[in-house]
Amino acid sequence: MKKPTLKHVGAAVGVFAAAAMALTGCSASNSSTADSNQVVHLTFTNWDGGMQAAVDQWNKANPKIQITLNKPSGTGYTLYNKLITNNKAGTNPDITEVEYQALPALISSNVVIPLDKYLPDLSKNFTKSSLSQVQFQGKTYGVPQNICPMVFFYRKDVFDSLGLTAPTTWDEYAKDAAIIHAANPKQYIGNFTSTDPGWFAGLAQQAGANWWTTSGNTWTVGINDAATKKVADYWQGLVTQGVVTPEPSWTPQWSTDMNSGNIVGWVGAQWAPNQFPSVAKDTAGKWVAATLPAWTAGDPTVGIWGGETEAVTANSKYPAQAAKFVNWLNNSNEAMTTLITQAQVFPAAIAAQSLPALKTPPPFMPNQPDYNTLMATAAKNVRTFQIWGPDANVTFDSYSNAFAAALQNKTPLSAALDVMQSATVTDMKKLGFKVAG
Amino acid sequence: MAIVEDEAAARTSTARVVAPPTARRPKARKSFLPVALVAPAVVLLVLFTVAPAIYALILSFLQMKVGSGLLGGGATEVFAGFANYVTTLTSGEFWAGLGRMLIVALIGVPATIFFATLFALCLDAKRARLVGITRLAIFLPYAVPGVVASLLWGFMYLPATSPIGGQIINYFGTTGIFFSVTNVAVWGVVGFNMVILYTAVRSLPPDLFEAAQLDGASEFQIAVRIKLPLIAPAITMVALFSVIGALQLFNEPTTLKPLANAISSTWVPLMRVYTEAFVNNSIYEGAASSFILIIMTVSATVLVNVVGRRIAGRETK
Repeated sequence: MKKPTLKHVGAAVGVFAAAAMALTGCSASNSSTADSNQVVHLTFTNWDGGMQAAVDQWNKANPKIQITLNKPSGTGYTLYNKLITNNKAGTNPDITEVEYQALPALISSNVVIPLDKYLPDLSKNFTKSSLSQVQFQGKTYGVPQNICPMVFFYRKDVFDSLGLTAPTTWDEYAKDAAIIHAANPKQYIGNFTSTDPGWFAGLAQQAGANWWTTSGNTWTVGINDAATKKVADYWQGLVTQGVVTPEPSWTPQWSTDMNSGNIVGWVGAQWAPNQFPSVAKDTAGKWVAATLPAWTAGDPTVGIWGGETEAVTANSKYPAQAAKFVNWLNNSNEAMTTLITQAQVFPAAIAAQSLPALKTPPPFMPNQPDYNTLMATAAKNVRTFQIWGPDANVTFDSYSNAFAAALQNKTPLSAALDVMQSATVTDMKKLGFKVAG
Repeated sequence: MAIVEDEAAARTSTARVVAPPTARRPKARKSFLPVALVAPAVVLLVLFTVAPAIYALILSFLQMKVGSGLLGGGATEVFAGFANYVTTLTSGEFWAGLGRMLIVALIGVPATIFFATLFALCLDAKRARLVGITRLAIFLPYAVPGVVASLLWGFMYLPATSPIGGQIINYFGTTGIFFSVTNVAVWGVVGFNMVILYTAVRSLPPDLFEAAQLDGASEFQIAVRIKLPLIAPAITMVALFSVIGALQLFNEPTTLKPLANAISSTWVPLMRVYTEAFVNNSIYEGAASSFILIIMTVSATVLVNVVGRRIAGRETK
């Protein structure tokens, strides 16, 4: 109820922009033509822990192309929106991390450039589904770094004590949820989170949803399609029964519940063991990963939650060198070995999926030595949307608001999907995209 | 009558201000010193307030339109007229947010004034002890940044970490959330307002209270019948600050937002501005919403000022 007036924010933004210009200045300063003996300095924005090790490795081996790693002040859409704003000013870094769902937005704002003339043929080392995240209308905008298939994590000790095994179908998951909650009213098999739109999108992908499809230059938006409504209605049932808690993830409350054993399962993704130490530090070795429950028994299809590519910006003076680094980072066994050990990445590059580094499970999962074998299997069965919409940020924000409100006011979750649909379509039309219907 | 006199006084003072400086200070020679003295302030004001404001005003009349093709490469800014203003004013969420902000203001402003006045009068009471420490203790929350305060209270509200009964009371309930947010805000500003009022009380002539005491008035009567009316102008000022503060509600709900389902990204108007500009990447609509809010804030300020002055004028009469 006080302070920061728009004036202050404005001043802060001004100062910040100046600082950002100073920081990224080095990329703009060496604009002279590159002769073969000149050292090229490139800037790289990425927020992953462990990335510095890979950058150091590159800088050592490539004295002519030196990379400076910058951590962005804000991650996710905070960064992407900044990239869009700074694009005109020409102050963007040469290379940036982009999560898959945000790439179309950056392409439509001309922030990133096609890399086809600099890159080798990626189809040899990447699956079609991986490439569908970075290739649009025959142009390649990045090299996929990782695949993050969704998996189910559960507390084996708790499941064992109740005589339960990992649920293989969503029907079983619902039954287990009821058994766990009945045995101990404080315990839940999991939470339905309104703060993770990517999580719900992954569940919808598994169910066969296609939030965005294209035909020619026309978009079709189907966020409230039958498959997505099936997912919403299913979770609605669990929340209404009270066997799944409607609390959002990533809160102190959630951490406490995950750590204390009040929440004994997590519909998560490949990168979860990286997060566990800060979420539930006392439970190392008690969690086991299993294939995500299926809608029909035996169907191995899963969605993805997260995943990123590196892209080269339109502001870069040295796109060829930048693309060379991007290709090395995400398409070479040596860089992937570093990223696997430092950041527990599961590589999108097929050759890297059988690297010896993957034989060691993540430090949080010493009890599951074949963790990455499970990921490799799941990665083969990934199903994604045909394409991410150019305004997925609006869709994601709308998810958080509409689902939070529905959970808070106990109104149908499927109605929240209608809100997302109309918010997305309205925004796309406002921006001038051709939308069917 | 008092009002008329007031207005007459105000008019003369305005007249004095706008009178040409040469009339008042005939000896003033042309000098660069005054210019040099105000230059830093003016330059900063122009750079960080006027220039961004003009830029924002321009933005508020623009819109982003993508080019042709599936991903619409080559987006351009086009003139949009009042489209952004219309979108904001016809958005149900904007008015709902305004409504939520008013609820918080309706709880928070009276609570701030009440507690600030109460603490100021209590500290000034003759029998009060440990005044220095108490005053500091009440003031201290103001020194805690809003974000930190919100996090701190957020932890106290969450059932898992709550020392104040979060297991039984739902601090993030549909109604409860208004009190939870207001509480953080009021906790933060009461101390500051208390200091303003306390200073006002201390500057009153003490012979008034001695006279009252001789006439047999109790401490309580002195506080309510004498001190309170005399610090009415200061209370008006505190009310003004509180109303402006309420209109700028942002920190507390934004920080509490990720903790529960109760707060949306457009919960109050300023949050909506932020979401439009930096999440939905429509800086244009954000700018338009900002200007609508500025107009509302200025109107509210003028209104509180006028009403407050009338009340104060009537009471001194």
